[in-house]
Amino acid sequence: MEVVGEKFKNLEIFLPDVVLAADAMYAALSVLLPRLTADESGKLRRGKVVIGTIFGDIHDIGKNIVAAMLAANGYEIYDLGCDVDPKRFVEKAEEVKADIIAISCLLSPSIYYMEDVVKRLRDLGIRDRYYVIVGGAAVPPEWAGEIKADGWGKYVEDAVQLCNILVEKGKGLEKPVIVGV
Amino acid sequence: MELTLLDVLEKTQEGPICKVKDWDFKIVPSKTALMLKEHGLDKVYDPNTPIPSDDGLADDFWEAGFRLALELGMFCPETERIVRFSEEELKAGLENRPCELDLGYGKDGVKIVTRRPDDERPITAAMSALGLAVSEEYYIPLCQAIAQYKVVDILLGCTFITIDGHKVRARTPYEVLAGKREAVYVKEAVRRAGRPGMALWGVEGAPTEYGQLGGYGVPGGFEPDRTIAICLIPEPAKLPYSILTRVAHAMNCGGPIEAGHMLNIGAYFGSPEGAAVGAIAVQILEAASMLPSVIESTILDASYSGNCGRAALWATSVADQARSRNTHVMDLGITSQVSGPCTDMLLYETAAISLADAVSGMAVEIGTRPAACRYPNYGSGLENKFCAEVLKGSAGMKRSDANEIVKAILPKYEDKLRNPPRGKSFPECTDLRTLKPIKEWQEIYDRIWRELEDMGLNRPP
Repeated sequence: MEVVGEKFKNLEIFLPDVVLAADAMYAALSVLLPRLTADESGKLRRGKVVIGTIFGDIHDIGKNIVAAMLAANGYEIYDLGCDVDPKRFVEKAEEVKADIIAISCLLSPSIYYMEDVVKRLRDLGIRDRYYVIVGGAAVPPEWAGEIKADGWGKYVEDAVQLCNILVEKGKGLEKPVIVGV
Repeated sequence: MELTLLDVLEKTQEGPICKVKDWDFKIVPSKTALMLKEHGLDKVYDPNTPIPSDDGLADDFWEAGFRLALELGMFCPETERIVRFSEEELKAGLENRPCELDLGYGKDGVKIVTRRPDDERPITAAMSALGLAVSEEYYIPLCQAIAQYKVVDILLGCTFITIDGHKVRARTPYEVLAGKREAVYVKEAVRRAGRPGMALWGVEGAPTEYGQLGGYGVPGGFEPDRTIAICLIPEPAKLPYSILTRVAHAMNCGGPIEAGHMLNIGAYFGSPEGAAVGAIAVQILEAASMLPSVIESTILDASYSGNCGRAALWATSVADQARSRNTHVMDLGITSQVSGPCTDMLLYETAAISLADAVSGMAVEIGTRPAACRYPNYGSGLENKFCAEVLKGSAGMKRSDANEIVKAILPKYEDKLRNPPRGKSFPECTDLRTLKPIKEWQEIYDRIWRELEDMGLNRPP
């Protein structure tokens, strides 16, 4: 999986190849997991991520790359697509008992909807159930702090690293965790 | 015979059904790879020649791009159908595009013309802090700082962070109001710059159709007889109704349309060669489906989200040459930099992509996007002046000469593309009283222009 990430970064393979690798990873896990102990399977299944491009924004390439790389790195992905209402992130996260909500944004006038996701979680009293991470071309690292998100990553591999940090030792870290600056 | 918009809409209702995941990750990549292989173009990228001069290569890419357009079609997300076009429909779409366009009023007006590789006619310079989120207090000064330079032909606005202190939220009445506000502020900026009839482009800060409906063709908004309407489709070759709504609205207003797309090397079309053939195919498809006056084509590199590295320059140049040698369509490029204002790197990046687009036959270049628009207010007038000067100074330059300049520039910044300097914001690098650059920024500009002149680039008077 690390090889896939490195090759993608160096443009030796491309997004469709990463998606194929992720599909292969899923297929392998479906065979492996039932045969493993809880400890062993926990190491392979790193967590559930609900991901999408925020409302008003129909650009999904960055989100698709991150989703594919997370899947290839052992995360279970629930991809909501693009132009996603903030409420949907919360509903889906509750439905699948996600660990992480990952929100992408390319266009500035959509950035405020990221804050709505965090506010909705807080107002429902379930903020501490999820790590919320943000990224995308329109999103400066400072924005993660402003909206009280848990993390920000600059590039695709940063998003994977960020998720790993949060699921492994997120509770004890000061937020937001910024990766890639 | 050329299709009408209603014909295209009918196609979105009747084409073969397809799931978006199949379109994105199977159909587009496999058809692209097959087309490259069939035409022997799958391994022709040469990092040592960022601006090739091979007409045969360009024509081979054109042929492959046309075949890809024919076999691929577009994808309508709302109906989940593939929109296919016949060879005759694609050819009619290209043939019916204009080869010149008058825009703006009186002495401030401009004529955009189609161009060829190595063309002696100067490319049109449409400048902006494109896609940059800007505070209300700096919006007019920043636009004025760009428009004050006479070398700039057309002005585009930027994106409001707030209007009257209220956050502008996409696809809400806030965005409708912001669309009109953009027109009012941009026109005030060109008035203050002493160029009230300047040609415009808008609504630039509209993430959805709401902003365009609010600002284009409405009383006090962007006038259709001097403003190109922006209609950009998402990757890969998608034709959403939200974009076709913009097309319909611009048609209703009688305004010229910019169809456009951005492709990423590393994404759906894959390699630099894949992105080049994909960009050609999508341009052909947009000509048939969106009936535009100009077509924007930008190839980014997904590994750093800009277009000033070798692979993006090569793919951009090859695709530009293929189109400008084989059609009369007015193409436009976008400069997409990753470094910020008041840095050497921003000007090197700007010079490289501006030269690549200009000598490869683009009709218009839209600049600039400092720091990939990641940091609010990180744009200024000077990089736009520089961009326009490089564009004008390259008129008549041979591709081979531009290639040598770009090869000399690239080593100065390419190792920093993934970790570029952030630079300074508009108020930090601009004297807000005069709207001129601060001394530090001016000195960087002067030094790098001297370097470029030593390399053989003409500096416009």
